[in-house]
Amino acid sequence: MFTSRTTGLMLVLPAVVFITVGFLAPVLILLAQSLRLEDGWGIGNYLAFMNDGLGREVFWRTIKLAALVTLAAAVIGYVAAWAIVETRPERRGVLVGMVILPLMISPVARTYAWLVILGRTGFLNVLITNLGLSEEPLRLLFTETAVFIGLLQLFLPLMIISLVSALENLPRDVVPAAQTLGAGWIATFFKVILPLTREGLVIGGTLVFTGSVTAYITPAVLGGSKVLMLETLLYQRVSVANDFASASVIAAILMVTTLAANRLLRRLATPRRR
Amino acid sequence: MSSRMGGLMLALVFLFLIGPFLIIIAAGMSAGETLAFPPQGLSLRWFWAVFEVESFRASFVLSIGLAVGATLLALVLGVPVAYALARYPLPGGEAMSTLLTSPVIVPAIIVGLALLRYVVIPLDLGIIPALFVAHTALLVPYAVRVVSASLANLRSDIEEAAVLLGANRLQAFFLTVLPNIRNGILAAFILGFVTSFNQVPVSLFLTGPGVSTLPIQMLWYMEFTYDPSIAALSALLALMSMAIVLVAERFLGLSRYV
Repeated sequence: MFTSRTTGLMLVLPAVVFITVGFLAPVLILLAQSLRLEDGWGIGNYLAFMNDGLGREVFWRTIKLAALVTLAAAVIGYVAAWAIVETRPERRGVLVGMVILPLMISPVARTYAWLVILGRTGFLNVLITNLGLSEEPLRLLFTETAVFIGLLQLFLPLMIISLVSALENLPRDVVPAAQTLGAGWIATFFKVILPLTREGLVIGGTLVFTGSVTAYITPAVLGGSKVLMLETLLYQRVSVANDFASASVIAAILMVTTLAANRLLRRLATPRRR
Repeated sequence: MSSRMGGLMLALVFLFLIGPFLIIIAAGMSAGETLAFPPQGLSLRWFWAVFEVESFRASFVLSIGLAVGATLLALVLGVPVAYALARYPLPGGEAMSTLLTSPVIVPAIIVGLALLRYVVIPLDLGIIPALFVAHTALLVPYAVRVVSASLANLRSDIEEAAVLLGANRLQAFFLTVLPNIRNGILAAFILGFVTSFNQVPVSLFLTGPGVSTLPIQMLWYMEFTYDPSIAALSALLALMSMAIVLVAERFLGLSRYV
């Protein structure tokens, strides 16, 4: 009964036209412009970006921070997800809900909270000076640490949710089995739990890594112009310097980095054949 | 890991995830002129003050309108796609679904910049239509995915029965399919609304002086002013999101679709 290709095509056509005109075509043109030089085409803009000290520094900082956030989210995520899966099923739903809730709240509000905590007159500095740990308030904002903390809080829930569903599918008896056979906690984790939950880890890792690479609000609010990341640099290049050539290069770098991370991590997810 | 140890770890993780909200709520209740925690005296004055700021009011209205409009259009475009994917052989199936879900994998800031350069400026498009197009494009993949999930469990015999009983295909869809995927559509609407309302990077290049979405207006404001109003506004937004999520979870089981 459902064989008409024409009907199928008609149903998807409006969305296809909209996405192509209002999204895909402009994005592809922008990415292509990164190869456009004053006289013809080439990778000159990329070389210029990478030879510019700031460009290189921002690129590596973005990769480094995203990798560190992903690593920290994985470690904390396993502990939290394990503790959630261990609870009774009726409590588990509430706990998962509490993990998801922050995801629905405006990232601007979530990031602003760290301004209140880490600012010059913020919670942490009040604590530090009152305890006499330091005479002067410390400069905690506009540091890589501040951006790291903000990104971790923003994206940790995605990792926990991915790992909760992975651990829920882990057969209940593999861990006691490994331990009966003499494996310690570390061996049990690396030889049993990690291989069996690799897919969930990769899904969570991809979300956290690409989310961190493409974050704008967190570096803008907690990093400022001292700790630029790719998106805040892109914004500066357009709105302050009006430099579209280098903006299109950053756009292309962002795009390639996200796609490459997706690819690479997906390859890691498929178990090795022996 | 012992269960007590696990409980402690979990408590720390939740302190990290949710604690900051309690701090903004407290900071918003300050009676003082500058942002501080612990707050200088308690009052709700900043919670009222944010309603007095004209730029917050205007951008709040724009953000709500944009979120509702873009989500509705994304559903109008996305529901037929989800239905087609579930029921019809599609020309270029895999490529087609890659095309339709591509907006999720492209960093949103690029979409905003690309639209500004190659659509908004050449066509001399206004700020609001530009935001509307950008937000809709980002939401179509969500609409398709969530509605597809609720269509997946729906067997096709009910439409066949309706058609055998004399309905045409369109009537069969509206009378048998639509009522059955109503919850999926509502869930998609709520997710789309929240996503659009909170979205910043795509709107960065598309908003202009005087016309801005609420989150961008907040970013602007906090750059120049250091009073508790953003804390109060953030607290209000957090409470609004919590209310939406709790209601949606209660009636739709929203977390199944996230």
